[in-house]
Amino acid sequence: MRSALIGAGQIARQHLTCLQGLPGVEVVALCDLSPSVAECAAERHRVRSWFTDHRVMLRQIRPDVVHITTPPTSHFHLALDALQAGAHVIVEKPATTTLEELNMLARCARELGRALIEDYNYLFNHASREISRRIDAGEFGAVVHVEAMLCLDILGPDGFADANVPHPVLSLEGGAIADFLPHLASLAHLFVGPHRRARAFWAKRKPSILPYDEFRGIVEAERGTACLAFSASAQPDAFWLRVYGERMQATANLFENRVTFNRLRPYPKPLVALLNGLEEGKSIRRAAVSTLMGKFTGGPGTYEGLFELLARSYRALGTGSELPVTIEHILAVNRLVDALKRDEETTVSGKGGARGPGHLEGSAA
Amino acid sequence: MKVLVTGANGFLGRHVVSALLARGIEVRALVRPAASVDDLGWPTSLDLFRADLRSSRDLEQAFDGVDVLVHLAAAVTGGAGEDAQFAATVVGTEHLLGAMARTACTRVVLASSFSVYDWSSIRGVLDEASPLEPIPDLYARDGYAIAKSWQERVVRRLACEHGWDLTVLRPGFIWGRDHAYLAALGIQISTFHLVIGPLSRMPMTYVENCADVFALAAIDPRARGQTLNVVDSEGERIWSFLGEYLRGTGQRGVRIPIAYRFAHLVVRLAFSTVFRRNLRLPQILIPCRFEARLKPLRYSNRRAHEILGWQPQLDFRECVRRTFANDTATRCDPHARVQARVSNQSLLSRPSSVP
Repeated sequence: MRSALIGAGQIARQHLTCLQGLPGVEVVALCDLSPSVAECAAERHRVRSWFTDHRVMLRQIRPDVVHITTPPTSHFHLALDALQAGAHVIVEKPATTTLEELNMLARCARELGRALIEDYNYLFNHASREISRRIDAGEFGAVVHVEAMLCLDILGPDGFADANVPHPVLSLEGGAIADFLPHLASLAHLFVGPHRRARAFWAKRKPSILPYDEFRGIVEAERGTACLAFSASAQPDAFWLRVYGERMQATANLFENRVTFNRLRPYPKPLVALLNGLEEGKSIRRAAVSTLMGKFTGGPGTYEGLFELLARSYRALGTGSELPVTIEHILAVNRLVDALKRDEETTVSGKGGARGPGHLEGSAA
Repeated sequence: MKVLVTGANGFLGRHVVSALLARGIEVRALVRPAASVDDLGWPTSLDLFRADLRSSRDLEQAFDGVDVLVHLAAAVTGGAGEDAQFAATVVGTEHLLGAMARTACTRVVLASSFSVYDWSSIRGVLDEASPLEPIPDLYARDGYAIAKSWQERVVRRLACEHGWDLTVLRPGFIWGRDHAYLAALGIQISTFHLVIGPLSRMPMTYVENCADVFALAAIDPRARGQTLNVVDSEGERIWSFLGEYLRGTGQRGVRIPIAYRFAHLVVRLAFSTVFRRNLRLPQILIPCRFEARLKPLRYSNRRAHEILGWQPQLDFRECVRRTFANDTATRCDPHARVQARVSNQSLLSRPSSVP
């Protein structure tokens, strides 16, 4: 398959590195508004042509698959152009800035018989896959509840909170946190299904140009409940996932290789605690060593899920089998994202109420 | 003559502004919108232009009445990652020079870097004739080296395309107050300093000496079309400079010498075996980056001396004194520092230029 990328920044590098290792895939072109960025990426990854106008690239190259790795505010128009040029589209999250735009893209993809895939890489990390495997094997029993908490310092002056040039994601409802909501929502969807109701609490804990730096959401879904959270203040950086089943519970840090399980055992309670503790300790030690070795010996690191997702996507596109992320899946995840962004329930916090990000006057702690 | 200085509030930029003002040159200082300039001691009459080069808006206005661009702006550290460093350094340069192409300004002085050289292949003396890092080896280097190489590439292309007069200055380690712990000093673990190649020399230029070269290059027509390395001397030895640093900052530290050849061999072996040529390792564990920091070479300012008649006006002892002196008045006012330097010339010992 002949692939092309629109956007040649940091996340594009991960896509390019992965694609170069996939059998039967050739990256034939890439495009960026900056000629230096485009040329540098092409030179570095030995891509034979580069462009600064995506329409010219689509017209001249006619790629089979287009990866859209630009800032989210540009995704919709670029994805639409790529679909209309006859390409399958793999788009970074969030796929669009509004649900209406996503519905239009989904309709276009269906009409043209093309694939539309949003990057939910954390569903394909080793930890998420191992938990899913045990759920499918019946070890968990029914899943009752899932918690996903992303702790990420986004308040540094060089990133989202750069006061000199406003970051494009700040124009999203919810600001920089909205950039991460698809990760949280996709995990909730994976373990407890499409949502029925959602409530959200948005707050600003520290002074910065970000509209919000804290988020909590509670979700009632078809198969259970979920608590989703983002914190720019809780440190160190981590992406905690906890899945609670009727017979087993799992805890994972998706930024590392750590995943541990607690299970019901047919022994006296003190022995259950001991055995679970010993097993947990062994898993944590093994994960710590494996994470360190991974840093020394290379590999995708925290992007392992992206590599797995892309490998599965290309395999499915090549064989015509079911995609790892379907359009129905994307719509369900983004309906939850939209519900979390639009929750208008006033919630009382320690220093004042906060409203959904549609109401940007929210509290300033 | 009016000179536009980008990155004007940076470590080098503030001294370049002072050096130009001290020569009676009119300066327009370009700083980022959120940058604070209150403690720089600039005269209130200084022409300040606020813009972020990553955003291409309004940059043409910065060139109104400007004869020379001194382009210093670059992301020195990779705090937000290699791509953010590339955007701040290279995309910013694209925007700036794109705007310049629509104005009457035709003269550029670019701050490049020693990091653009191919350190792995150079033996003996590193000078302006030394080879640059080739493709694709460049992409094994760190984000700063990639960004500075690309910045120079972009500027040279545009200068050629538009017929501009270009001077490329490549400083070594620029040091001074609050910037004296250099990457070549080794690895610090608690109070222990692992000094790799203790007798190796570092290509160093004290910030005020370096700023002098930029000011000189901006106004001296002999600089046109030239590429010049900027170092104060053949280089200070790592061991002795670290000693100065520890004494100057009052830190307790134990220096542990490690032979360069031994460390280099270990790094090369480990990189190609245990670490499987992983480029996400700490810088010191990647051979080409190890060499770019620590390789024992000699350096020369002969060409800057021949072309511009430049000699560093402050000798090493005076630079050390200024770097570590507890002099709050000098610390807060770099403009006053230039004045003080001019008045202190006769007190200084012989300049340490390399013949």
